[in-house]
Amino acid sequence: MGSGASADVDESKGEGGLDVLGVSKVFDTRKGRVPVLRDVSFRIGRGRFVSLIGPTGCGKSTLLRIVAGLLAADGGTVSIFGEPPERATAAKHVGFVPQSPALLPWRTVLDNVRVPFQVNQKADGAPGRRFRDPVEVLESFGLGDVLHSRPAQLSGGMQQRVAIARAFVFDPSILLMDEPFSALDELTRERQRHELLDVWESDQKTVLFVTHSVPEAVALSDAVLVMSAQPGRVRAVIPVDLPRPRGELVEATDGFHDLERQLRSELRVASNDHG
Amino acid sequence: MDKDDHGLLHSRAWLPPLVAFGLLTLGWQLYAVHNRFVVPTVPQILTQLVDHPGLFWNNLLVTLQEAVVGASIGMLAAFVLAMGMCQVRLVERALMPLAVVLNVTPVIAIAPALVVAFGFGMTPKYIVTAVIVFFPFLINSLTGLRSSDPQAHDVFTTLHASRWEILVHLRLPSSLPFLFAAARICMPLSVVGAVVAEFTAAGKVSGLGSLIETSASLSDLKTVYASVLVLAFMGIGLTVVVIVLQRRLLGWHQTAALRRP
Repeated sequence: MGSGASADVDESKGEGGLDVLGVSKVFDTRKGRVPVLRDVSFRIGRGRFVSLIGPTGCGKSTLLRIVAGLLAADGGTVSIFGEPPERATAAKHVGFVPQSPALLPWRTVLDNVRVPFQVNQKADGAPGRRFRDPVEVLESFGLGDVLHSRPAQLSGGMQQRVAIARAFVFDPSILLMDEPFSALDELTRERQRHELLDVWESDQKTVLFVTHSVPEAVALSDAVLVMSAQPGRVRAVIPVDLPRPRGELVEATDGFHDLERQLRSELRVASNDHG
Repeated sequence: MDKDDHGLLHSRAWLPPLVAFGLLTLGWQLYAVHNRFVVPTVPQILTQLVDHPGLFWNNLLVTLQEAVVGASIGMLAAFVLAMGMCQVRLVERALMPLAVVLNVTPVIAIAPALVVAFGFGMTPKYIVTAVIVFFPFLINSLTGLRSSDPQAHDVFTTLHASRWEILVHLRLPSSLPFLFAAARICMPLSVVGAVVAEFTAAGKVSGLGSLIETSASLSDLKTVYASVLVLAFMGIGLTVVVIVLQRRLLGWHQTAALRRP
């Protein structure tokens, strides 16, 4: 697939989801104008978990920030269930999990998860909105014992789970995650991956998940978008047709290893493919 | 619980400064005994304090009021301005140069002018004290309000939180450690401000600064040094108040990690 390829990772069209069409972005730096994203297009259907993977500097975080409405695109359109990012965030349809847990250290775990209820309350009256009980969400994340602890008293993995719970609790239509496990050690990282999988499989949200871990992308996703750098664009789409629910054992199957191998070779090509 | 957790109650905490203080007092006494016209002896200073408790107490209250009221006005004004600067860049660009000018102007230079404008009452003293704490508190408040975690800011933005909600829920709590650090500088500084104001604008109202000036002109060195001692303890007292408040309100900041279960 060449530059400007359109990547469709949804077989059942027309029921909403995330539509990214021809998005481009240029950064003005002291060295001149650097194109970060060129004509990026893809589509994620409702309830699908899609990972974005690529070499460092391929603009995957920039793309996520554009989808989250944190950054404006220079060209192209983003549509989240039919709405542009500004309208989707105004209606609290977007759950964002940043790279660091970014918890408020002066609040308890429970009060951190309550943050989404305390801001932008105008959006709360929308029909069809079903807020979750923060205590129940935290319990389902295995954090029932630390409701009243401060973030500093928790391990890195637990802090990241609180950050994910904070994004789940207000029932957004899409979850955007920016390498949420990248700061964790390998063992913790694997555990977090499986816990996220458990939670997601019980409530299948539309997810765009940025990562640079191959096993993470394969284990979690319905499809993986491979990006190449300078300028960033979608090079390939790899469907992951492993059966769900996926337990830890799935990572030991041949199918899993084949997909890993395929993804790694795509990544290798993407890293060497400049311009 | 470890012994070190008792902090100030542990002998390792208070013994070394006590010994140092004792040695300094002893050195002072040895020097004073041979130079009675330059510095009074330690017993003379203490006797002066014990013999005239009312004199020192009443003047202490005046200076304390000047310091606390002046510092409160200055810190509040600085904080309100910092919030404005943080929310609207234009306010910062317009007013920061003025604040810098105010900071580099020697306060003693404007004190006499303030007396002419506001008379010999408390007002010029409040102003001098407020001016002296204003700039350090402004800079710290601004740094504090801008110190919030940018990724937490992203989370608030994707929730479409208003500027006001971000200020209340994120920026203000993030700034607290900086505000307390500034208060620890500003409270003792306010004592300096109050004394300087009394020197230049003695007038009707007394105060420890005025007492020092009057006593010095009468060569009453015992009263001068007794007043200095009282001022020193006042500064310590104000600092302790800030530290106690800091420990109460900032449990989450550094000490929270110590309470790991």
